[in-house]
Amino acid sequence: MANTRRDSVTGALMMVPASIVILLLVVVPMVIIARDSFAISDPLGGNLGGFTLDNYAKLLDPVYGKTIGYSLGMAVLNAIVCTIVGYVVAYYIATRPARRQPVLLLLVIIPFLTDFLVRTFSWITLLGSGGPIIGIAKALGIPATSLVPSQTAVVLSLLYAFLPVAVFPIYASMRAIDPSLREAAADLGAGWWQTHARVFVPLSASGLASSVMLTFVPTLGVFVIPVLLGGGKDPLVGNLIVTLFTEFRNEPLGAALSMVVLVLMLASVALAGLVTRLVSRGARRSARSERSA
Amino acid sequence: MKSKALAAVGVTVAAALALTGCSAAGGSSSGDSTKLHIYAWSGEIPDSVIKGFEKETGITVTVDNFDSNETMISKLAAGNSGYDIVEPSQYAVPLMVERDLLAKVDKSKLDGFDNLAEKFVDPSFDPDNGYSIPWAWGTTGILYNEACTGAPVTGWKDLWNEKYKGKIYMLDNMLSAYIGGMQVEGLSATSTKKADIEKGTQALLDQKPLLAGYNSDNYADLVATGDACIAEAYSGTSSAKAVAANPDVHYILPEEGGTLWTDSFSIVKGTANESAAYKWLNYTLQPEVAALLTDDASLASTNQAALELVKDQTQVTNPAIYAPADSLDNAEFIVDPGKALAYYQDGWTRVRAS
Repeated sequence: MANTRRDSVTGALMMVPASIVILLLVVVPMVIIARDSFAISDPLGGNLGGFTLDNYAKLLDPVYGKTIGYSLGMAVLNAIVCTIVGYVVAYYIATRPARRQPVLLLLVIIPFLTDFLVRTFSWITLLGSGGPIIGIAKALGIPATSLVPSQTAVVLSLLYAFLPVAVFPIYASMRAIDPSLREAAADLGAGWWQTHARVFVPLSASGLASSVMLTFVPTLGVFVIPVLLGGGKDPLVGNLIVTLFTEFRNEPLGAALSMVVLVLMLASVALAGLVTRLVSRGARRSARSERSA
Repeated sequence: MKSKALAAVGVTVAAALALTGCSAAGGSSSGDSTKLHIYAWSGEIPDSVIKGFEKETGITVTVDNFDSNETMISKLAAGNSGYDIVEPSQYAVPLMVERDLLAKVDKSKLDGFDNLAEKFVDPSFDPDNGYSIPWAWGTTGILYNEACTGAPVTGWKDLWNEKYKGKIYMLDNMLSAYIGGMQVEGLSATSTKKADIEKGTQALLDQKPLLAGYNSDNYADLVATGDACIAEAYSGTSSAKAVAANPDVHYILPEEGGTLWTDSFSIVKGTANESAAYKWLNYTLQPEVAALLTDDASLASTNQAALELVKDQTQVTNPAIYAPADSLDNAEFIVDPGKALAYYQDGWTRVRAS
């Protein structure tokens, strides 16, 4: 008893440095943003303090709703695409011999040692009029011009940017799955689809949920990709926040929009948590009922 | 106000550097200072200028960069920025004077002020150069690829031409985009009238379906490769390189006007290093130093006496660096829209979200 109490005290003490860092670098800035979102702005770009709900009232303008809606759609699309592709990659890696797995994981990470902007620019070259993809299309007689700017380029580049974030949690949860389950499923006559739909997907649900969250949330904050690859005609909410803080010199309005996005992110995390719990409970129940049947 | 590639990185770096710059603010203002903190547009102070200054004066210079006047103003307004010299664009100067962020320049301490070209002496945005000494200047105009357009381009109206649909870019910057939007309607690019601005907004809305996109980063590459036929463009390095490298690429000021910008050195109010700040102003007023701006950064110098000292004279004749004098006749200085900024913002938000 005394031992466990001492352990928990030690544990709490060891948490102190990390807690301080999180407090200073996450909580405090967020409190400042939350505070600023209710502040009064002056036309010169100052933050006059005080209290007003005007900033939030301004966000009711359908123009903002439209951009937020578009961004949410883009983020959902990216989360789904990343998770599907991530699932395939993670499954491939998890089913290789154990000693080869670290090498494959390393290969997933290596490109990400390069700067994010450089990688985004490389997509311009890859998809641009002088790039290999257009070159191949032309050689095959398919009439094609540049793929940049286009929504296709944006979606591809978003997938590329967030894929590793999707692969790792799915891989982690798949590694925990007993490989004999696959053989068991095969023995019981489950085909490829059934093995995945009824064994692997439910058992890696927590990894899939983390993957959805980890790709969905940062996609809402992206602002470079739509400008460089999408031509900047369809801004994401991240672009709008940058514009509000800089060109529009309106910190309070930018802060209010940031808070709205933050709430949307928290809501999506909560929703993902709920779905995971339901799915894994459902999986356990069906496993149990199948066992008793 | 020139092309600011890698904007996001710049902001982060500037923010990080600004934090480290804070310590300088506490120093005493007496005696000769040995340090100078400069906050400037990226790419507008060549290393050669900084090295030369450090060698001549023994003062250690730190330069941080910003990517918009607004970023710079908000950092200074927050107080204790630690900067001694800043480099505001013309419209930012009155804004900063109004907010009491700049120190009055004592002309008696200046040496070489008469080297400045006439149009930068006593400019409209800062009467009698009370707070700013112009350093670099440039224009906002049109960059086009004649192999793609098939004919010379003369004005903004060509950026509204159906013929180039999907091959047109506008600058991804509110006030810059409105230059085209307002002038194509025959209005002043700096109008503060609500009705004018709404016309400009409508013009930009009408134009959007024709655009390939809004781009302030790599439009010059796009025009050079022919991926874009025609783009609203800033003069300076990237446009100049495209013009110099490809005989089909031209930079013009539109017949409807175009605009002129100038970035100036100003002394931050309450600087701890005033003597070093004046040494900087005097050093950069020397013609041979100002010539380095063109030689090493491909930007136009405000220093008339510097022009003949530029080593590569093709830069002086490149219209994407030094716009020809006669094309500047109709060019407007962009000024701060003041309270009308709200009309521009409402309009621009609508344009972007449409």
